[in-house]
Amino acid sequence: MRAVLTDVSSPLLWRYESRRVGVAAQAAPAAALAVTLLLTAFTANAGGSRADIERLLLTGLEAVVPLAVAVATVTVITRDRCRELHLALPVRYVTTLGRRLVTLVGAAAATAVIYSAALVATGWWSGPAAPASPLVWVPPLLALGGLAMILTVVGRSVVLASSGVAATWLAQQLYAASLASHAGSRPFFLFLTSRYGTGEGWLLNRFALTVTGLCLLAVAVTALSRPGAAPGEEEQ
Amino acid sequence: MIRYEFLMQIRKRSLWISMGLLAVITVLGQGDAGPRYLPDDASARVVASSWAFLWSLLLPIVAGMVLADRLVRDDRLGVSRLLESLPTTATTRVMGRFLGALAATATPIFLATVIAGGAESISREDPAVLLWTPIAFGLVLLPGLVFVGAFAMVVPLLLTAPLFRVLFVGYWFWGNMLGPSYMPSLAGTLLTPVGDYTASWLLGERALYAGADGWLQLLRPEPNGVTAALSVALLLGVGLIPLLVGSRVLARRATA
Repeated sequence: MRAVLTDVSSPLLWRYESRRVGVAAQAAPAAALAVTLLLTAFTANAGGSRADIERLLLTGLEAVVPLAVAVATVTVITRDRCRELHLALPVRYVTTLGRRLVTLVGAAAATAVIYSAALVATGWWSGPAAPASPLVWVPPLLALGGLAMILTVVGRSVVLASSGVAATWLAQQLYAASLASHAGSRPFFLFLTSRYGTGEGWLLNRFALTVTGLCLLAVAVTALSRPGAAPGEEEQ
Repeated sequence: MIRYEFLMQIRKRSLWISMGLLAVITVLGQGDAGPRYLPDDASARVVASSWAFLWSLLLPIVAGMVLADRLVRDDRLGVSRLLESLPTTATTRVMGRFLGALAATATPIFLATVIAGGAESISREDPAVLLWTPIAFGLVLLPGLVFVGAFAMVVPLLLTAPLFRVLFVGYWFWGNMLGPSYMPSLAGTLLTPVGDYTASWLLGERALYAGADGWLQLLRPEPNGVTAALSVALLLGVGLIPLLVGSRVLARRATA
């Protein structure tokens, strides 16, 4: 039994976890990017400048993909109907949840890489040099995903976690200018690349977001290790 | 059914905690243009409307999140068939749930508006602010909540709740707050659920982008009393569409 549950090289296990995550959650980043492309087409059709279109395309990668992953993370954690049953198995629940989140992030990463490559190939890429392109979406994804996890575990509520993620995302968009202009908040501004490019403080910003995300994930994993810590959808 | 839905929703702790936290963040982050910094001689109508508009920027996000699972959870909990056996139509069930859940979800927002109005009333020694508060709530916030609530309840039936939540956040930014000069957007049109037209009319100046030139110019008349009423009518009318679609979807599922 233990071998079946822990053999991470087994395609069967990953296929099972992928199905537990659900098509909707895994397709969320791609669907959100499709909507971004639609809006970009609207903008281009309405005579938007090349700079505006490039910035919009980059926003899809830096802002939309992390948002989709964060909201899907909340769903993956809360929709598990068999958590109590799982706690009786010889595998830690947090390990299983980790595998499910890997399939979610894996789908998002594949989408983001294909999207980035397509932008580079077609000449619409306005971010850093191509090898550094993951730095556009990985740090905000970690930060927003970590926030989603910690809010879900601590708040024990889909609504609270989704609203917290949404409010953070919207507040960062609304107060972009003031967040980016203050030395204290600039490292934690999620959308620096798409809003202000890769100039001064960009690498520090990416580093700070990555560290913040990893710290939030570490705290969430620690909290999830307590039996019964994760909320269900009815514990709202 | 309305009463039952209301009671079920109003007892959700997450509704109150989410609304409370977001209300505090909204007040703290309102900036120099926020209602806290209105001049002492500002009229009661402007003060009350300004607070209502401030709440309408972010609090409906929580409403959308909380209402997104009201219909889809029946399937998840396995009670759909039981509900279908009740002597009511799908339309009655959808409308009953919508009205009850919306009333409960709007209650914390109404309370926030009343608290702000009461505080302003005391600090400005002007009881008229409190009188204008429910009017501002009804005109600026309520039509948008009906619009958002209707889509939030029904669209997850077609898209699933997580995908709806992602798209809803993006829509809220694009359709309300993104300047129409930057890209084609619904912001500043009569169909802006943030209450841009009614707030602009009550404030006597453009609240955000109401009437600003942009995409769908036909839906961007100058903000005034007539266009504010038109905006309210459009938000309520368009809000009915998803409810009717939701009723049809549930009715078809019942007979499938």
